[in-house]
Amino acid sequence: MHASLSMRGVTAAGLIALALLIGAAPGANAQGVTIEVWSHEADEPAKVAFREQAVKNFEKSHPGTKVKITWYEKNPLNAALKTALPAGQGPDVFYVEPDQTEYITAGYVTPLDDLVNWNNIEPWARKVWTHNGKTYGVAQEAYTVELYYNKDMLQKLGVALPASNQFTQAQFLDLVKKARAAGMTPISQGVGDRPYPGAYITVEALLRKLGPDDYEKLFTGKLSFADPRVVEVLKWVKELADAGAYPKNFMTLKLGESHYYFYSKPGALMLPMGSFYTGRAFVPEDKGGQPPTFPLGIMQFPAMNGGACNDCKTSTVGASFAINAASKNKKLAGEFLDAMSTPEMGKMWIETVYLQTGIKADVKQFTGPHAAYFTELMERQKGKKYFVGQPRDMVKGECKDAFAQVLNSGFPGGLISVDQTVQMMNKACYKS
Amino acid sequence: MTLTTGSGFAQVRRLPLVLFVVIYTVVTGGPLLWVAMMSLRTTTEIFKNPYGFPSPVHWEKFADAWTKSNYGTYFWNSTIVVVIAVLLVTVVGAMAAHCLARYTFRGNRLVRFAILTGLVLPPQLVILALFQILLDIHLYNTLTGLILVYVATHIAITVYILEGFFAQIPQDLFDAARMDGYSDFEIFWRVTMPIGAPAIFTTVTLNFIVLWNEFLFAVVLLTDDNKRTLPLGLMHFTGSHQLDVGMAATGLMIAMLPVVVIYAFFSETMIKGMTAGAVR
Amino acid sequence: MFARAARALRDPGSSTIDARRASLGILAAFLAPALLIYAGFTIYPVIRTFYNAFFTIKPQGVVDFVGFGNFTALLFADPTFWKAVTNTALFTIVATIVDVIGGLLLALVLFARAPLAPLLRVVWFTPVLMSYVVVGIIWVWMYDYDWGLANATLRWLGLGGWEQSWLGQPSTALWSVLAAHEWKWLGFNMIVFLAALHALPGEVLGAAELDNCGWLAKLVYIIVPMLRTTVVNLTVLSFIGKMMVFDLIWVMTGGGPLWATETVSTYVYKRAFEWNTFDLGYPSAIAVLWFIIILAFIAIITRVFRQRDKLEF
Repeated sequence: MHASLSMRGVTAAGLIALALLIGAAPGANAQGVTIEVWSHEADEPAKVAFREQAVKNFEKSHPGTKVKITWYEKNPLNAALKTALPAGQGPDVFYVEPDQTEYITAGYVTPLDDLVNWNNIEPWARKVWTHNGKTYGVAQEAYTVELYYNKDMLQKLGVALPASNQFTQAQFLDLVKKARAAGMTPISQGVGDRPYPGAYITVEALLRKLGPDDYEKLFTGKLSFADPRVVEVLKWVKELADAGAYPKNFMTLKLGESHYYFYSKPGALMLPMGSFYTGRAFVPEDKGGQPPTFPLGIMQFPAMNGGACNDCKTSTVGASFAINAASKNKKLAGEFLDAMSTPEMGKMWIETVYLQTGIKADVKQFTGPHAAYFTELMERQKGKKYFVGQPRDMVKGECKDAFAQVLNSGFPGGLISVDQTVQMMNKACYKS
Repeated sequence: MTLTTGSGFAQVRRLPLVLFVVIYTVVTGGPLLWVAMMSLRTTTEIFKNPYGFPSPVHWEKFADAWTKSNYGTYFWNSTIVVVIAVLLVTVVGAMAAHCLARYTFRGNRLVRFAILTGLVLPPQLVILALFQILLDIHLYNTLTGLILVYVATHIAITVYILEGFFAQIPQDLFDAARMDGYSDFEIFWRVTMPIGAPAIFTTVTLNFIVLWNEFLFAVVLLTDDNKRTLPLGLMHFTGSHQLDVGMAATGLMIAMLPVVVIYAFFSETMIKGMTAGAVR
Repeated sequence: MFARAARALRDPGSSTIDARRASLGILAAFLAPALLIYAGFTIYPVIRTFYNAFFTIKPQGVVDFVGFGNFTALLFADPTFWKAVTNTALFTIVATIVDVIGGLLLALVLFARAPLAPLLRVVWFTPVLMSYVVVGIIWVWMYDYDWGLANATLRWLGLGGWEQSWLGQPSTALWSVLAAHEWKWLGFNMIVFLAALHALPGEVLGAAELDNCGWLAKLVYIIVPMLRTTVVNLTVLSFIGKMMVFDLIWVMTGGGPLWATETVSTYVYKRAFEWNTFDLGYPSAIAVLWFIIILAFIAIITRVFRQRDKLEF
């Protein structure tokens, strides 16, 4: 009797021990998780360093968890994602840009409202990614669209910038003509490898002429391109193009090459560009950056006659990250996104990538070799009304194709008339 | 055999021919020389003076590309994948082509038609279905999976070329071989393959070149960096932000030189082989 | 074995074994490997594509059956598609002609023992080995208005008035890309023809020599007819390749300017991957339609050209 009881006791104890072991096992396994991240921008060392620093910080605070970043170029990244996501595959976290709303509408990204600490993100950056009340992406990069110019060249032409740092329509056209006459290329710009730079002058002018509401209507198909104000702007841009504002190799000049064209060889007077300009310009000169003594200036885009909002400027969100709806590690992925968005990381972004960010970072004093640039940049942003978003993020499908071929390339390239432009854009975009 | 015998070259008027040869060589070799020069210069040097001579000569770029940019791994992966895939598709394709060309059976036309359809498939569309298949058999993100995809996508062209050629071989050779008691497989191996050598050479070359530079499938079906193939390595330097022309040129030289060397030897042997077969 | 064949030719009645028939087992052994891989990795995607063409994939995974809707939209309401078809057709026809004639010419030059032939054979072939990305980069630079070799050469020759923005104008863009494409591929056709030339029986050429045929007559009446199969094969191969051309155009112009270099393949790619949508129905419809068109062309070409001449020994 005794023996059998103790046998049962031993067996019971053994079973309990076994249960404890089994119960403990999943807990032990959760330690060995690897978060997969697919990212873009492997050719910008500062951004790579930034993201890898976040990985280091995260792995330290989450012992046993690893983060693996796979780097892609943009087109291959899209191809890979568009193939993997519908099959329920793909990484836990991936790079996205605000115009890629198809991930949201198709349900492949998960809402981040409860997964991320939003106290560290600027409200306007969060708004860009909020659709139908839910937020789907964490903005990392933000930038404004600026008109950079060469101070020395402007002086040489004998033209002085008004106190407002903004020329009128007529003054600007005059400036272009003067520059051409002096053998300078007025505006460095190229559409060889991007679907948007050629349209900078045009859309910035449209923003100032139409004001934010009608501007948004125009690019979401609710306002016709035949609107007399739009036609006025297009006519003015045509005058600029006909006066030789753009380089002869405008159609094939690549974005990176247009930077070099501006600050090195052969040199141009102006360069309309997003403030991610710094990513190429502030690199050592022998790696393609601007010469350290380059007289960089920033002016406002020209004011339009009768413009509804000549004080408007464009700002937008760029590189962002989202979480795969099929991810099995959503909570951890969210914590990784947090690791990339702390105030310290925000400060690191601004100081090493030289770009604005959607992370709340309070950088009052600018130090380092580019302090003067940042001071001037902040000056130009004082008192301006910001339109958050860009046409190329607003247009979709056929309209997007037309934007790239017509407004970005054919029209400023001098291949089509104002009437043809209006016709083509309306056909592709305007839903009357 | 040549077009003419002895001093026959003099028959064809010399000057226009030489002029043509020189011009065409300059046109083909010129850009190549330019790339070779660029591979030894830094990108800034190139932007300053696109057509200049390398000075100083940056030999270290080659070492840099191989080590810092993981080129060694990519090169190895490319070699494994492409060599195996080409071998497989040639053998498998030749067998199928032989069967379709030399044997009459019901369904011959149907099979031939089915294979023809594969010739005109845009890869952008099949990739999604292929992705799903590889996932289902657990070969996603593996070199084996990529090899199978490469073989599958090139069977059509291989069979198409080989079938056409094999069908031209005189029936009598096969009849004779049969009489001699050769088995079907021996007939394939000893009659079709040797005589079909020129066509096989064509398909091997074509498949090798296309697959060596293949990009879309490789980028979608392989996500681990250490499994990536060479075209993806080139992707590093032709990124959308910085166009590192100098390193892209170096990368290209690394990708091309061994293949050129192999070709230089291979073609010599191949042509000798074919010439020998034709001489009685 | 050839001696036996010769005997068989002299004595045709001696063979009754039909070498054209084989048991099912043998057939299966030869066909199975290819068919298995093919069925799994190609047939299924083809069927899938055909299937998708009749649907529209909407957000949230909703799939709408639209019947022939995609096809009617394609045929009657899509000017970009028709521009792409025109571009592709033009490109294909011209490029194929250049391919075949150019390749043959080059092969003949080498065959005629031009000086340094072995070296030339390698040099003329190297562009074929380059990846499209680099070929594209090189040629975009060559065509650059300011520092490109094309315009620089024109200026140097005193023809500065002819300089253009080669890739930036709808009128010259397609032909400029075609030139780059041919630069890359001519070497391939060259070696195929070269191999075929080397495989030609020597006696016929020798006999022509004895008959005192001039080289042109020899070329036109003897060599080209004997190369007939190679010509047909290369034409079809080239045709198919050019109809599907994608990589070079994508790298050089992305389909621009103003759709001047938009081809069916680039259009399919854009609709499948770049239109901010997951809808595969429409691009699948394009692929299916294009597929039917290409098949029709191949059928026509092979019927017109292919006669089953046997190799003569």
